[in-house]
Amino acid sequence: MSRKKSIFKGKVINRLQFKLPALSINEAMARTMVGVFVSQLDPEVTELADIKCAVSEAVTNSIVHGYRYVSSGAGIVTVTVSIMEGRAVRVEIKDQGCGISNVQEARQPLFTTDAAGERSGMGFTVMESFTDAMKVVSKPGQGTTVTLCKVLKDRPEVAGGYRRHGQS
Amino acid sequence: MNERAAFLCDTSGQTLIIYIRGEIDHHTAVSVRNGIDTLLFEKRPSKLILDLSEVGFMDSSGLGLIMGRLSVMKSLGGDMLLRNPGRETQMILSLAGMERLIPTEYSDTQSLPVNQHYAHPHMAAESVADRAPKSASRRRSKAKASGTSA
Repeated sequence: MSRKKSIFKGKVINRLQFKLPALSINEAMARTMVGVFVSQLDPEVTELADIKCAVSEAVTNSIVHGYRYVSSGAGIVTVTVSIMEGRAVRVEIKDQGCGISNVQEARQPLFTTDAAGERSGMGFTVMESFTDAMKVVSKPGQGTTVTLCKVLKDRPEVAGGYRRHGQS
Repeated sequence: MNERAAFLCDTSGQTLIIYIRGEIDHHTAVSVRNGIDTLLFEKRPSKLILDLSEVGFMDSSGLGLIMGRLSVMKSLGGDMLLRNPGRETQMILSLAGMERLIPTEYSDTQSLPVNQHYAHPHMAAESVADRAPKSASRRRSKAKASGTSA
């Protein structure tokens, strides 16, 4: 198994799960909650910014695209953040929305189904660039689950928290 | 009411400078976009400068916002400039190859007038010059009011 795939699987040390109605005002809430939870690993400022940005993209996609056919706030977005051994952070963003018929196409830079709404079509590209691995599982009518993984840099100078190799 | 993103505008001659503050995401981009467009069609500047120094967070919705304003400026026959994006904002801009589309300037001058109040997008069209005396007189009247009640 390649390293990219293997980093999705690991011993989970700590976990946070929350559900939010699909309202655009909750995009900030979702990324902030993930950021606060990940802060226990004492990430670098840029690492934290990368994670928050990627989460924001995924949650926005669920709200704008996944739940485009339901009334505002009717859908639920479930976010699960896991801190795993080796300073790995895994974030799963799940919706029960309309799904994506062609995931490969959707992942292409600048691909958008909503050009009129000034969507840049860069959502998946941002998620992929700002994390170490991304997995998209989707079927039309059955919702979409995006899993993002990022391995944080070792910070031996920081006391406490979780070490790269197991818990301190 | 949108507390997460706000902007302030400054018109000097044919140049419109918009100082955006806060977090630009899909939720906040809508009101920022409407506010800027109202100003663009009202003032019809030949140059738009988006000052991003106070933007704390931006995702791809910000890219859509910037690209959209570029096309509005093109339709008005003007051009556009980005000013002082922070490190994280720069990363997402370069991911989209934005520097090839829009010139970006970095100036170390204090880009924002000190102690300025940001207009919320829904009450957009006040300029820096409009707001300064107002807020000062509001402070004075507040001080006066508290003085009389004491």
